[in-house]
Amino acid sequence: MELKTLALDLGSVGVLQDGVVSLAAGWYIDPRTGVRVFYDPNSQNFYTMSGGVYIPLGYMNPAPKQVSIGPGEKLKITISYKYSGPAVSGALERYCVGVYGAFGFNETLVGENTRSLPASTTPLSYTGSYTFTIPASVGSDWDDIYCKIYGGSPGVPQTLFGYENALVIAGKDPSISEFAIVDFAKV
Amino acid sequence: MLDMVLAPMALSVKEFNAGDTVRVTVSFSYTVGINTTVRLLAGPYYTNIFGKHLVDSCVGRADISLAAASTPTQQSADIDFTLVPKSLGGIENGTYGLRVWVDGTNAGAEQDSVIVVSGNTSGGGDMFSSMMPMLMMVMMLGMVMPMTQQMGAGGEEA
Repeated sequence: MELKTLALDLGSVGVLQDGVVSLAAGWYIDPRTGVRVFYDPNSQNFYTMSGGVYIPLGYMNPAPKQVSIGPGEKLKITISYKYSGPAVSGALERYCVGVYGAFGFNETLVGENTRSLPASTTPLSYTGSYTFTIPASVGSDWDDIYCKIYGGSPGVPQTLFGYENALVIAGKDPSISEFAIVDFAKV
Repeated sequence: MLDMVLAPMALSVKEFNAGDTVRVTVSFSYTVGINTTVRLLAGPYYTNIFGKHLVDSCVGRADISLAAASTPTQQSADIDFTLVPKSLGGIENGTYGLRVWVDGTNAGAEQDSVIVVSGNTSGGGDMFSSMMPMLMMVMMLGMVMPMTQQMGAGGEEA
């Protein structure tokens, strides 16, 4: 079976040391989008404001490409991120395939790698990957993926990133398109 | 300036005799996770004020094997159907559309007025069916007339 890959960039990851937050509460500019966002050190989340309500900043994004895959095939998800700070041991890279909806992400396939990150004063690039074998029971709506890095000692703040509709699942029922009558004749 | 594109009809009109077998060739793209078989059906249909109606007695079937493919894969298939003569409970002379579909899915295609059927001979059965409406009217008149006569007679008594 063909191995298919998806890649996500988690951006820059800082370190969360015991009792010390990496950012003070307040408004920041997201360097990627230019949007004003509010950081809450208690929840360690960024928020955007809409209609007077603070809304957690979305971690799911439109997929830049779609990968078609079916039961028995292998899906390799690759992530990249940058880290600077003290040495961290036991940080977790978590890879998930599932269904993203109004109530969050329903993780149907999960894989984890444990990482140790050496101390560095400048951001260093890291990559990680996990390969799933798509089960026969795959649902046609298992088309979203997300990855995150979190945990370890000292703790890395949870950093998430995901793609909606990243997969086109070939299930047990055929999906037919471009159906056309080419010709007809007496035999 | 006309902001429209006139596309030619995909299929040309063809003439057939009752009793002919028609082979329809279709193409489609599919994805499926496991090897599977789908059933294709094809047949003529006619249109009236109540909509489109398939001529069930003429519908043909073909089972097509699809190999597992997670990326869209092109497939073509042939389906044969027979224009069963009217005398055998089949199709009448006339112009029909052609419909092909995949059983249990939304996949299908059709085109109006592409099959012209002729060659059905007018037998005794046809003559009877054409005279049926007239016979019905005569029978109804036979039932209604005595009733109106009785009502008229009742009115005189009153």
